[in-house]
Parts: sequence; C-alpha cells; structure tokens
Amino acid sequence: MFEPTGLMIDHVLYDTLLTYKGSNVSTPVPDLATSYTSSADAKTYTFTLRKGVKFANGDPLTAADVVFSLMRTKNINGNPSFLMAGVTATSPSPGTVVLTSSTPNTAIPAILTNPALGIVDMKKVEAAGGSDAASAATADKAEAALNTTSEGSGPYTLTSFSTTTQVVLKANPSYWGPKPKYSKIVIRNVQASVQKLDVLRGESQIAVDLSPTQAEGMTGVQIINGASPNLFFVLTNESSKVSKITSNPKFQQAVRYGINYQGLVQLAGRGAVQAEGIIPTMFLGSLPAGAGPAYSLSKAKAALAASGLGHPTVTMVYPSDVQVNGISFADLAARVQQDLQQVGITVQLQGQSIQVALSSYRGGQEQMGLWYWGPDFPDPADYLNFLPGALVGLRAGWAKGTDPSLEALGTTAASTTQNTARQTLYQQIQRSMNTSGPFMPLIQPAQILVGATSLKNLQSNALWLVDLGELG
Amino acid sequence: MSSASATAPTAVPRPRGGGRHRDLRRFLLRRLGTGLVLCVGITLVAFVVTHLVPGDPAAANLGQRAIGDPAAVRAFRHQYGLDRPLPMQYLLYLSQLLHGNLGISEQSHRPVLTDLAEYVPATIELALFAIVLSLVIGVGLGIVAAVFRDRWPDQVIRVVSLSGVSMPIFWVALVAFYLLFFKLGWLPGGGRLDPTQTAPAHLTGLFTIDALVHGQWALLWSALRHLVLPGLVLAIFTVGMLTRFTRASMLEIMGNDYVRAARLKGLPEHVVVLRHVLRPALVSIITVAGVAFGNLLSGTVLVENIFAWPGVGQYAYHSAVNLDLPAIMGVSLFVALVYIVVNLAVDLLYGVIDPRIRLS
Repeated sequence: MFEPTGLMIDHVLYDTLLTYKGSNVSTPVPDLATSYTSSADAKTYTFTLRKGVKFANGDPLTAADVVFSLMRTKNINGNPSFLMAGVTATSPSPGTVVLTSSTPNTAIPAILTNPALGIVDMKKVEAAGGSDAASAATADKAEAALNTTSEGSGPYTLTSFSTTTQVVLKANPSYWGPKPKYSKIVIRNVQASVQKLDVLRGESQIAVDLSPTQAEGMTGVQIINGASPNLFFVLTNESSKVSKITSNPKFQQAVRYGINYQGLVQLAGRGAVQAEGIIPTMFLGSLPAGAGPAYSLSKAKAALAASGLGHPTVTMVYPSDVQVNGISFADLAARVQQDLQQVGITVQLQGQSIQVALSSYRGGQEQMGLWYWGPDFPDPADYLNFLPGALVGLRAGWAKGTDPSLEALGTTAASTTQNTARQTLYQQIQRSMNTSGPFMPLIQPAQILVGATSLKNLQSNALWLVDLGELG
Repeated sequence: MSSASATAPTAVPRPRGGGRHRDLRRFLLRRLGTGLVLCVGITLVAFVVTHLVPGDPAAANLGQRAIGDPAAVRAFRHQYGLDRPLPMQYLLYLSQLLHGNLGISEQSHRPVLTDLAEYVPATIELALFAIVLSLVIGVGLGIVAAVFRDRWPDQVIRVVSLSGVSMPIFWVALVAFYLLFFKLGWLPGGGRLDPTQTAPAHLTGLFTIDALVHGQWALLWSALRHLVLPGLVLAIFTVGMLTRFTRASMLEIMGNDYVRAARLKGLPEHVVVLRHVLRPALVSIITVAGVAFGNLLSGTVLVENIFAWPGVGQYAYHSAVNLDLPAIMGVSLFVALVYIVVNLAVDLLYGVIDPRIRLS
C-alpha cells in the first residue's frame, strides 16, 4: 500500500475506475470509467463504465465486479481499507456504479486511482474464498490465491511474486487498451548501487532507487529527474505534557527560522526543492516557490530569546535505518542539529530502528521528530491529516480545538468541490501553518528514474514511480 | 546467528556386527532427542527476544492509516493471535508446530513453511556450491602450504588466506560484482537465472539439479553461471579459514614418528602426504568445514542482497526488520536444524575417516 514498488506492480495488474497518465498526477483521467459526475455536496459520485472490457482470463468486467472489489477493500480491514472509509459502492444499473460518501469527500476521484482499489474478477475471487461482506475481515480468504494469480484486467498478469526478492509479470494479450510492449517484466529487489551497475551494463533496463548523487555523471542512459511526492518535515510537539520546551510557540518560531532550508536542499541533491508547505508541488493547492519560511538566524535567535527558555536541550527522534529517495534521515537530522546549534538550541539526536521510532511517533510522544509523509492519494485533502486533532496533528500533540480558525478552514476545504476555491483554501491553510504550529516542512526530494536509451516513453510518476504499461 | 560445536571424537574398542548397529542407533536416537530439546529452546529464545524489542508487530506491518483504525488493528492482532496472553501465544505456537504448522508470515501473508520451501533451496544451492569450492581450494592450498612450509609457496598462500579471512564480505561482493560483472562482463550480475528464462520444473528447488534431471542444458548453464559470482564471494572467507586449518593440522601430524617411519620405509612423498598425513588431519578439517557450512547456510544475507539471490537470508532480514514473529521463529528453527544436521553429519564422518573413532 505504501510501497511505491507495490503500487508500480499493482497498477499494471489491475485497472481502476480512474487513473493518471504519464507524469501528470493533478487530474484523474478515465480508465475503466469513461466518465463521472459528482453531486454538489461531494457526497455522491456516479461512474459510467467502459463497455467490452474483459479480465485477462476472458471473463467480462461488470459493474458487479467493481462494487465487489471496492466493498471488499473497504471491509477487509487491511492497509488500504481507509481509502473507502465512509464510502459505499452500489450499482443501480448495468454499466453504472455509484459511490456514496457519508461526509463530503472531494478526494474520491483521486482516491479511486490508487491501485489498491483495482477491480478484480468477482467470480474468481469468490471461488478463491473472497468476500465483500461486512465480515470480510475474517471471512475473506482470497489473499493467498491472489498472491499467485492476479485476477485483473490490466496490461500484465502475475507470473510469480515474492515480497523479498522478485516479481515476474507476463503480458496480457487480450488487454483492452494499448498492447503491452514487453512480453515479460522481471522486477528485482537489489541495492541501489547494484541497480546502477545493472542498468549501465544493460542487465536491467530501469533503476528506480538511485539518489541524485548516484545518478550524477551516468552516461549512455536516460535520466528522468522527476519530483517526489515525499515530504520531509520536523515536528515540535505541541503538547506541554510531552515537552514544555517544544510546545512553546516562540521556540517553534526559533526552529522554523533557524533551519537552513537551502542547505538541506543542497544535501538532498539535484532536483530537490524546499517544501514551501505541507502539500508537494505536483498537487493542487501547493504553494509557489518562495512562499515557505526563510532561514534567518537573527529572527531565530530573537524568537528563542523571547521564549524565555535560555539555551534549551531537546531530543529529536528519527528512523536511522531508512532512506527515502536516497536521502538518509541521519544526514538530515545532523544538519538540522547543526543549524539549531547556531541558534542556541541543543538537539540530542536519537536515531532508532523504524519500527521502534514509529511507536513513539504514532503515540505522539516525541519532543521533536524528523519524519516524512508520502501521499495516501494525490489530493490536497490527504494533507488535512496535519491539522489539529487529525492523524499527523495528534502525533505532534496538536489536539482538536487548539487552532479553531485553522480547523474551520480545513472543514471548509474538505467539502469544497470547485478547484479554484480549493486551491485558495489549501494555500491559506499552509500559510497559516508556516507561521505557527508544530510542523516545519523541510524538503521535497527528487525522484530519479534511470533507464536504458532503448526505452520509449519512460516517465516518472509520483505515485507508482513508472507506468510499466506505458513503456514503448 | 548461531554457533556450533562438533562432538569430540572418542576412541574406544570397536565392537563387531550387531553391536555396531546398536551403538549407531542409540547414538542417533540420543542426538535426535537433544536436537528436539534444542529446537524447542531456540523457539523459546526467539519468542522472548522478539518480544523484548520495543516495537509493535501491528505498527510494523500495518500502514500509517490502518494503524490509526482500531478495527484494522484488532483484526490484525486477532489474525496473528497477538491478542492472546504471551504464554498462551507461545504454547499455541508449539502446538501448531507439532502439527507441522509454522504459522502465517505477517509480511508475506503466506504459511512460513511455504515461504521457507521457496527460499531455502536457493540458499542450500548457493551454500553447497560455496562449500565445495572452499573445500577443493582451501584444502588444496593448505596441503601445498604444509608441504612447502616456510618456503615461498607457503608465504604466498599465507597472504592469500589471511586476505580471505580479513576482508569484509560486503566489500568483496561489491568489488567482485564491479569487476567480474560490470567491467569484464564475464559473469551475470544477479538472480538465479537470466530474466528471460523460466525456472525448471520443481523437483528439489536446486535449479542446477532440476535442470540436469530434466535435461535442460541451457538452464543448467545459466544456473551455474549465476552461482559462480555469489558462490566465489561466499567461498573467499571459508577458503582462507580452511587453508589455515589444513596447514596447521597437517604440520602437527607431520611431526609424528609414524610419518617419519613411513618416509624411512621409502614410501613416495605423495603417498605419505595424502594417506598418512591428510587423512588423520581431515578430522579437524571436517569439523571446521561443518561449522563453515552452517555459517554459509545461515549467514548469506549480505551476499543475497547484493546479488539479488532469492534465498532465506533476505527472508530473514525482512522478517527481522518487520518484527514478523512467525517468520523469525521459522528462520530460527531452520538455522537450528542446519547446525544440528551438519554437526550430526560431521560426527558420523569422523567414524568414516578414522576407524579408531567410535560413536560414544
């Protein structure tokens, strides 16, 4: 669900109602649904299905398959179930599917592009023990079968699957869209440094995990320097129970002004940019370049002096065994520590294994934390999670009711359907968060894709890295 | 991951006929009993240690949104039995184990036994290749070093073997990969076969054997070529170790009176070295080789990662970082079994190599 490689594979095994083409992830385009309409209150979405689509096994794809697939994902209580939270799928007539949300949900079109909401062959999955009933969390037994055979309608089918080593895909000759170019695709899990040599030698045709530094100087290959939707940020816990230091608004100001963002951008390598707000550049509502907080040592020192904390010492937790887009949390943490030392704040770094660090992060127990957020779906509504009382907000001790005006903006944004109005609202939210609050967005790294020159139409996609079905 | 020791050989008068078989049966039964106790002990240690890690398997395996959903967390805990008290969880695991059920992996969502059945043959094939290579080269170099003691061949071999045992394996792997694959293109880079090839029909899971049995020569050639690079890297350390041990063991035996007597009787030097020196030295060489083979089977994580080798090492690594308890327990049991079987094989070989050694 949150692994780009998993999304890359699922995207070509299963079609979704809507999708994205190439590197554009701002507007969903038709896939299995040829068109859709939404109600003014953003609670009802009606989709018209494409006619004549068949699964790779030859079965026709129907509205019943769509309803089954979406409701199964909802009821199975697994990682992607939240995508369908509060949403019900029905089919009032053949060829039509209606999604009804209990609350206004402007993100539904974007959510439906997620390969986890791919459409499966109901008959085959039910025969393998699958269920879309409310009791699917315990009743559904189809996962084992789906790990060996894909029951989708995408351009490729699954030949073999291993979570640790490699996945093999085979072309679906009866695919309804443009025929897949390659008869077989092998996706191997290898270290980035080895990926580089593999692709240079011609052993592999695409490397997806290289950092900007690793890709520098490579010749005889095509290098796609795409933008990653991942966003690194620092949190300073807003709860005074966790820390009287980090919850001090002036201390937060000192941190906000005391981080040398351009230094971090340089550290992250070519293609990385400063995160101007919490919404990455490729999504609606992102802030323009230069709108984010600017480094100012004098302002940072003044804010720290105004906090009355003297020269405080705080602990910052980060996952020490993880790299995102080739960037090590340890390197970023060391740079933040160094910057804040100039301000007069001593940051004690506490690198932990990701599984250990996640516990304190998710429990909202960290004084300071260095983390990243990858989008659950490509819509600014996903970033409402950073507001007070929401998922990530609570991890920073930001309780509901702490900032009523900001929360009201969030509520309005969640139910506004018109794109221009949405953009204005999300930018207002971020401007407010850039002046106060517990989050300091740092950088948005580059997403490097290196491919053989023989590959045509190789494009970097912020969600599934590369669309293997589009390769020419 | 573990350590191993071979049972010290004991010389006793040699009984005849049925007595020998009875002794062997008793010996095997005793070792089987010890092995079973050891396996249970390993599961207990793995269970306790995994639970001491301050992480949550649900947090490790559920996404950041699902972990915030109490229903999803409840479903996960219930599915993997994590909602039961710890002693109950362990007893449940043991009872499933008695029925040959190692549980369901929290990361692959498949039976651990199925996962191991997929990954273990790849590791066994690699480890066997490496140990055969190590024995041929290591023992060979050790003999030469002992025969030419303190002369230039011994000096050269000393440098080579010390380099082998002192170089970090990940570094050797990357250098070998860069040189033999990237620069020279002599060997393929990773995996067990070329990407365009399909694995031979499953018989043993060892591609070389399966391809040989089915007469698929192109697959056999490809499987062998893919084995060479990771096998060489794995063998480098073991070659160094075996060379040093062979040399030391042979030099110790060469000083014995019966060796001098054999030479004085006019026996050719190669007969003295191979029959009167190497054979008794093999007892200690095999002890070291047994431990080395166990290490190879259980310690291939880095090499498997660099060469995209789909073996149990990568499975163990991913299980550990995801706090996948059933998989960790399964891998621990596999490692325990490896050492039990290897040590047993070594003990039995003692009797074959040296008839004076009895099973006691």
